[in-house]
Amino acid sequence: MTTCKECKSFFPLENDQTKGDCVQRVKDPRQAYYQSRPAKADDDAGACGSFQKKQKT
Amino acid sequence: MAQAALKDTSVKEFEKKQEWWWAAEKKRSKRLDYLRKAIWKKGAIGGLYAPGVKVDLERAQLHTQKAKEMEMSPDAYVIKFAKMFAHILDNKTIFITDHAQLVGYTGSLPHTMGWDPSAASILNEEAFNDPTAIPDPVDVNQKVIREINNYWIGKTDLDKMMPVFDMEDLMKMLSGSIGWGVPLARGGYSSKDYEYIMTGKRAFAAIIDELDRKIDEVDEEVHQPGANAEISKAYDKLNNWDAMKITLEAGIRIAKRYARLARIIAENFEEDPKRKEELLKIAQTCERVPAHPPRNLQESFQYDIFIQMMSRTEAIEGAWPSRPDYYHGPYYDKDVNIDKTLTREEALDLVGEFIIRAAEVCQFKPKWTREGLQGIDGTWVWTIGGVDRNGKDACNDLTVALMQAARLVRVANPTLSFRWHPKVKDEVMREIFECNRQGLGYPNMRNDPILVANTMHWYGHPIEEARLWANQACLSPCPTTKHGFQPMRMANATANCAKIIEYVFTSGFDPVVNMQVGAETPDVATFKNFEEFFAAWTLQMQTIFSILVRAVNRARTLAPTMTPRPFLSGVSERSIESGLDTLDPSIERGNSWITAFTWVENVDSLAAVKKLVFEDKKYTLAQLKEALAKNWEGLEEMRLDFVKNAPKWGNDDDYVDDIMLRCLDEAAKFSKVLKDPSGNNWPILPENVSGNIHYANIVGALPNGRRLGDALYDGGISPGPGLDKKGPTAVLKSCGKIDHITGGRAFLLNQRLSPTQLAGEKGYQLWSSYIRTWADLGIDHIQFNMVDDATLRSAQKDPEKYQEVIVRVAGYSAHFVDVSRKTQDNIIQRTVQGLG
Repeated sequence: MTTCKECKSFFPLENDQTKGDCVQRVKDPRQAYYQSRPAKADDDAGACGSFQKKQKT
Repeated sequence: MAQAALKDTSVKEFEKKQEWWWAAEKKRSKRLDYLRKAIWKKGAIGGLYAPGVKVDLERAQLHTQKAKEMEMSPDAYVIKFAKMFAHILDNKTIFITDHAQLVGYTGSLPHTMGWDPSAASILNEEAFNDPTAIPDPVDVNQKVIREINNYWIGKTDLDKMMPVFDMEDLMKMLSGSIGWGVPLARGGYSSKDYEYIMTGKRAFAAIIDELDRKIDEVDEEVHQPGANAEISKAYDKLNNWDAMKITLEAGIRIAKRYARLARIIAENFEEDPKRKEELLKIAQTCERVPAHPPRNLQESFQYDIFIQMMSRTEAIEGAWPSRPDYYHGPYYDKDVNIDKTLTREEALDLVGEFIIRAAEVCQFKPKWTREGLQGIDGTWVWTIGGVDRNGKDACNDLTVALMQAARLVRVANPTLSFRWHPKVKDEVMREIFECNRQGLGYPNMRNDPILVANTMHWYGHPIEEARLWANQACLSPCPTTKHGFQPMRMANATANCAKIIEYVFTSGFDPVVNMQVGAETPDVATFKNFEEFFAAWTLQMQTIFSILVRAVNRARTLAPTMTPRPFLSGVSERSIESGLDTLDPSIERGNSWITAFTWVENVDSLAAVKKLVFEDKKYTLAQLKEALAKNWEGLEEMRLDFVKNAPKWGNDDDYVDDIMLRCLDEAAKFSKVLKDPSGNNWPILPENVSGNIHYANIVGALPNGRRLGDALYDGGISPGPGLDKKGPTAVLKSCGKIDHITGGRAFLLNQRLSPTQLAGEKGYQLWSSYIRTWADLGIDHIQFNMVDDATLRSAQKDPEKYQEVIVRVAGYSAHFVDVSRKTQDNIIQRTVQGLG
């Protein structure tokens, strides 16, 4: 299963790596912004249209 | 305008042509220009939201999810409610707009409108039935809304409260004929205890410590040997304090989420070093406030925005009572003048953005509210100027900066309301004039000495508190103090007063909603003299006011337990101290008023009846009754007699002006008979917002010659459009006959002035002289439209070219293209007063 922690947009919390935020760049007709919503590292990202595989470092 | 044309035309050329909106666009910084254009226009146009603006489903889903999860929880309702609030803040999507230095929004995304599904099922059904506001895909999301609505049926605030209201009063009120809005504590608007939370002495962390101490103390007390009534009440207090704490802790957490997002952007995405620095400043700011008191202007603005965002998460708020120069001014002074950490230009950017952050705020509202507030989401009237608690001039550099920034960003909401007093400096007056001359329609002018005295007269606020007043919505002053501040205002104490005179002719039967609403006064045709007629008018007035006030009083009495506000309580000293919800009437001094829409029609109608029926005996009451029932059809000559040959308010004519005073006197006497749950009075406040258009098809023909469907008069004491024939001084003299301290709460006066006549220094001197006359006559309010007919007619013909033209509608401003054609025509019809 593909999970959120494998995604570029997932930023884990420092004190709890199982939780984090899904941060994405959005451009709407009037403005550009970054949005953030809470996510869990092991959430299923299989159906997520914004999923982008994190590059291995 | 095409970019090339904008580039090739100078600021001076635009100003010469009075195209202030293009001049502003050229003058403002790139940041302000971006942020101003980034705003999604949320004010409804003709009752409908603009394309692209959508109901925020996320918040409604989060709210519902938590409510379902806690259904079987043994927690008290106030605790459950606080947990729902916290769940929303912890899980909602947040965003930071490019170039922004301030963050925080009511919805989840910039184009969304916060939707609170727990307020009223009638609102929820509007969300379901408005496909233009439902996010795509509409069919899928309509099902989501259906599920949410089904859950809340019978559980919303209004659904729960309706069965415990007096059903007869409720039906009359909800018929839409005499009132406006519903009696809900979380569906009106709230002021804040700014003296407690906005003076830099404490913030959320310190309040939480105080709450912990209170909880520990009382918890220990209730477990000592003994039992009494106080201990029984203490359990409720403990629940309230716990709930306040839950909301404040959630408030600190969401600020930290913003801080974290700013750091993530700075460290992972942003390449511009200057912007990185700004993002880190945002992070530091949100780590500081609201947990701790602000230290600088950015933190102070951010703190305020967070408090407003949280308050608007807890309740639907239709206004924005505040006094930004008074509470943020010391930080402006520190940053700009003392520490010099901000240049004036940088400060102006922050001030402009602070205005923009408010301009974008929107919560989904019912259609009757949208129609009554065309072009805006609510009346964000920010109070500036005035005096401090010792009576000294409170104007500061931020007072001026707010007006300068307003001219640059040119939003219709928020607007500014200036507390004029004799010590205001000329440089400040010039800024007020310039804003109005540039067509903003604000600041309006409020007569501070009169309104301080008025506030003391009607409610007994002590002078030191009365001097700290801020407008509640459009016009009503209320102190921002511990026992003075108003925790909620229910808009349904808004009377459609033209029904008073209409019901005299129908014996209280309303032909529009087909029910008996008013008093069953005798057949009007039987009245032998004007005194009998006036007695019927007085009884109808008392009946309508009573129906509306009883409903508000009932809701207010039930509010602390049925619709509590733990967050608002958590930022209110009186609740921290007492453990009572801030809505509890026992800890508020009381600041209620009846907003009197469509008031002046009564005065002109009474004068017409007195003159043409009882004195000239040209017509009988039976003939007039029949004419009104037929909407004057086939009786145009008679109708014009009532329009042209009866005295009209606003012409310094004692005949009709005395009738105004008599009507106000009757209302003022009855205002002291009506009491709110705090035991205080219910004075009237004549004004209209857009009610004069909203009610046009609800009010029948009237003896002033008005037909069903005609727009009603626009102001609270403004003469009818075109009926003031004797010039501006006569209008002021008529209005000056009213005692603005004891005659009522406040009185809205619209005036149109010629922008051409008011150009240059001569124009300023003319206006200053006019304002001096206004002040000398003791009139409490005045506001101006200074856009000429040619511009307004051009905007009607070619709205795309004139998107940014702003007009003063009533207690608020709006973009001209965003109000209905009927309202546009009504504004154009207002007499342009020549001064001098």
